[in-house]
Amino acid sequence: MFERKMLAPGVYITTLDAEKFNRCRIAIHLRYTPLRRTATDAAVLPLVLERGYAQCPDMTALSRKLARLYGADLGVDLGTAGTDRVLTVDICGIKDRFALAGEDLTRAYADIAFGIVFDPYLVDGLFDPEAVRIEKETLDRRLQAEFNNKRLYCVRQARRRFYGDSPAGIELGGYRSDLPGVTPATLKAEYDRILRTASIDVMVQGADADNVAERLLQALQAVPRAPRDFAGAMAMPVTEPRHYCEAIPGLTQAKLCMLFTTGTPEDLPSINLLRMAMSVFGGSTTSRLFRNVREKQSLCYYCGATALRATGVMMVDSGVEPGREEQAEAAILKEWQDLCRGPVTREEMEDCRRSLLSGMDALGDSLAGLESWYYGQITRGEALAPPEYGRVLINAVTADQVREQLNSYHYSVCYTLTRAGEGGEPA
Amino acid sequence: MNSQSDALRRKTAEAIRCESTRLDSGLTVLCRTMPGYSTVHAFYVTRFGSVCRDFTLDGRSYHLPAGTAHFLEHKMFESEEGDAFSLYAKTGASSNAFTSFDRTGYYFSATDRIDRNLDILLGMVGQPWFTEATIAKEQGIIGQEIKMYDDSPDWRLLTGLFRCLYRSHPIRDDIAGTVESIARLTPELLYACTEAFYRPANMVLSVAGDITLDQAVAACRRAGLDRPAAPHAVTPAPFAPENETCRRELQFTMPVNKPCFALGFREQPIPYGDARADILADLLPELICGGLTDLYRKLYDEGLVNPEFNGETISVDGACTVVFTGESATPRQVVELLQAEIRRLRRDGVDPELFTLVKNQMYGEMLANVEGVDDAAESLAGAWLSGYTLAEEVQALATLTAQDVNDALQRMLREENAAYVEIQPQG
Repeated sequence: MFERKMLAPGVYITTLDAEKFNRCRIAIHLRYTPLRRTATDAAVLPLVLERGYAQCPDMTALSRKLARLYGADLGVDLGTAGTDRVLTVDICGIKDRFALAGEDLTRAYADIAFGIVFDPYLVDGLFDPEAVRIEKETLDRRLQAEFNNKRLYCVRQARRRFYGDSPAGIELGGYRSDLPGVTPATLKAEYDRILRTASIDVMVQGADADNVAERLLQALQAVPRAPRDFAGAMAMPVTEPRHYCEAIPGLTQAKLCMLFTTGTPEDLPSINLLRMAMSVFGGSTTSRLFRNVREKQSLCYYCGATALRATGVMMVDSGVEPGREEQAEAAILKEWQDLCRGPVTREEMEDCRRSLLSGMDALGDSLAGLESWYYGQITRGEALAPPEYGRVLINAVTADQVREQLNSYHYSVCYTLTRAGEGGEPA
Repeated sequence: MNSQSDALRRKTAEAIRCESTRLDSGLTVLCRTMPGYSTVHAFYVTRFGSVCRDFTLDGRSYHLPAGTAHFLEHKMFESEEGDAFSLYAKTGASSNAFTSFDRTGYYFSATDRIDRNLDILLGMVGQPWFTEATIAKEQGIIGQEIKMYDDSPDWRLLTGLFRCLYRSHPIRDDIAGTVESIARLTPELLYACTEAFYRPANMVLSVAGDITLDQAVAACRRAGLDRPAAPHAVTPAPFAPENETCRRELQFTMPVNKPCFALGFREQPIPYGDARADILADLLPELICGGLTDLYRKLYDEGLVNPEFNGETISVDGACTVVFTGESATPRQVVELLQAEIRRLRRDGVDPELFTLVKNQMYGEMLANVEGVDDAAESLAGAWLSGYTLAEEVQALATLTAQDVNDALQRMLREENAAYVEIQPQG
C-alpha cells in the first residue's frame, strides 16, 4: 500500500505500509541540480548537517540522543539521480510499541530529521565555523583515502576520463583543491540554494504521516521556494576507445574498469530492460562474464557489469593478475560482442528473469528496499506502481530487446591499474 | 533496573520469537516464521572455519593447509551435475556463501519454490564432489581473491596484528590461505574435512521469513537428515595456550595515502556458551572509543583519525582479540590517547550513563537484527554457534552492569598483551 500527495509545488509526501516491521523510517530527499563551482560545498554540507541541529547542536549529544532512542540510525548522505544530486536525511528506529518507558519515539525521530534539514545549527546566521573547519578536514581525509581502495579508485579514475567536464563528471565528493574556499558563508549559500530549488520528497514508513506532513508544511513556511525541474537525460558522445594505464608500486592485483556509452540520450531504455541486459551480461551468477570470464577462464575473482539509465553508461570492472589485463579486456569484449551479435539463449534469459523477479518480490520485506523502489520511480518521473507491476514489465522483456540494448553501447574508456615495473605508464 | 530488565525481556521476547528442534542426525533446525513476509532466507552453517587446521578423524590425524575451509566453501557449489548457481538459477533464488575464522555458511534468499531451494542447499553441502581438475580450476579464482585482499590495508592490518599477537594459533593465517598453501590441497583432504566437519551434529540450518519449522524439517527429511548420521570420531586438536605476545610491533609499506594502524590486545579466550562474556567483550570498544564517547569526539574533531576509525572484538575458539583500527597522520598519538583512556577507565570506572546508552543501542540493534529475513536467520544461527539463544543473549545484556565492565577492565586490555601494526605509504 502506498500513497503520494503533493503538499506544495515541488513538495511531496509518500506513505508506505510498514505494519509488519519492528522499526519505522522517515526519509527526506532533496533533489537538486549540482554546480561545478559549489560541488565541494555540497560535499561538506552533509557532514556538517549530521553533527547536529539548532535544538541539539552538539555532535556527541546527538549521538547520545539517538542511543536513548534505542540506537536509532540517522543518515545524512549525498547521492546521484542522473546528473542531479539527492541530499537525503533519513532516520530509522524501533516503533513506539517497543519503547521501554512508553516514549513517543516516532515524534522524536521526526524532530531530529526535520531539525537536521530545516533547522540547522547556525552561528550569526551562518554554519558554525568550528564545525565547518572540522568537516573540511574530514572530507579532505576521505578524498585522500580514495586511493587506499584500489577497486574504487580505478572506477573513479575511469569515470573522470569518461565524463571529463560534462555535468555528469562533477565529483560527488567534491574537490580537494576547492576545500580552502569552503567557508561558513559559502556553505550556507549552497544550503539555501538547495532548500530553495530542490524537489522535496518525504517518505514515511510506520510513522504518523499526517503529523509529518504538518511539520513539513510548517518548516517550508520559512523557506523561499523556487523548485526547478529535474535534469534531463544525457550521454557522452561516441569516441574511439581510449586506454589509460596507471602503474602503482606494491599493487598485488591489477584492476580494470571499462566504460561504454550509448552516445545519445534519446530513446531511454526502461529500467527493467536495463536490469535484464545487465543480468545477462555481467550482473548475476548466470551472466556471461561470471560463467565464462570467471568460472571457465579463471581470469578473475570479480567481474561485473552495471549500467545507469539517465547517463547512458555501462561499466564493467574486474580484478585480474598483473600482466593479464589485456587478456581480461579482450575476454570481456568478446562476451559483450557475442551477446550483441549472437543469440541470447532462452535459458539464460529465463534464469536472469527468475532472479530479478525474486528480487522484486523481496522488496516488500525491507523498509529501505521498499523506499528505494518507490523513490526510484519518482526520480525517473514514472507513475508510482508497486513491485508487482515491475514483475509484469520484467516478464515482458525479450531477448531481442536485451541484444538491442547491449548493441546500443560503444566502448569508450578503459582504465587499468597495474603493478609498477610490469609495463604500466603513468596515466 | 530490574523492572526495566523485565520489560526489556518481555518486549524483546515478543520481537524475537523463534522455534527450534534437533533431528536424530544431530542437526539443529531453527526457524523464525515472519508473518507478512514474502521472502525466505535459509542459512546452513558448519562450525568449520579457517582456524580448524588440526584434527583426528576415526583415529587418523590431519593437518590442513591454510585456507582449506574457504577452498572447500568454493568447491561445495560444484557437483557432478553442475554447479549450484545453475540450479538456483532455475528457482530464481539468490545464493552465496562465506567462510570466517570459525564457520562456513551457505545461504539463499528466495520468494518462490522454497522446498526446491532447500533441497539444493542441503544437497550441495551433503553431496560433495571434488576432482583434481575442478580443484585446479578453483585455485586460479581463489588466487585472485587472495590478491584482492592483499591490496586491502584493513585486511593486511588485521592479519599483521594476529601474526604479532599469536605464536601458534591458526588465526595467524589468512582465511583464504596463500596461493602456495591452497596448491597443496587434494580431493582426499577435502573429503576428510567434509566427513569431519560437515556432520549434521556440527551444523545448524536456520530459516526465517515465509516458512514454518515443519517445512524446514520436511526438507531435512528429504535430504536424509532425520536419520542418525554415519558415526565418525572427530577430535579437533586443542589450541595451545598463548601466554606471550609474539611481536610487539610490525611496520610495513603499501600503496596508501595515509598511515594506517591497528592496536590489538590478546585476551583470554571466551568460554563457549558464555553470552555475558561475549556481550561484555563487544561493549568494551564502544565504551572506550565508540561514537558516544568523549575520546571519539576528540579524535574526530582534532582530525586525528578517519571517520571509519573503530574498535571491535574478534572471538573464536582459543583466541579473543580486541582490535582498534584506523587511518591517521599521527597513528602513535592516537594509540597513546587510546591507552591513556583505557588506563583512566580502569582507574575511574565507566560513566554509568554512557554504559546505559550503549546497552540501549545494543537493544535496538538486536531488534533490528531480527527484522530482515537474512539478518534474522543469521542472528539465530550465530547465537546457536556461540552456544546460546537470542533470548539468552538479550537476557545477558539486560543483566550486565557497569560494575561488570569495570571488573573486566582490571583483567583485559593490558598493555603487556598488546601489539601495534602500522602501514606507511610506499615510496
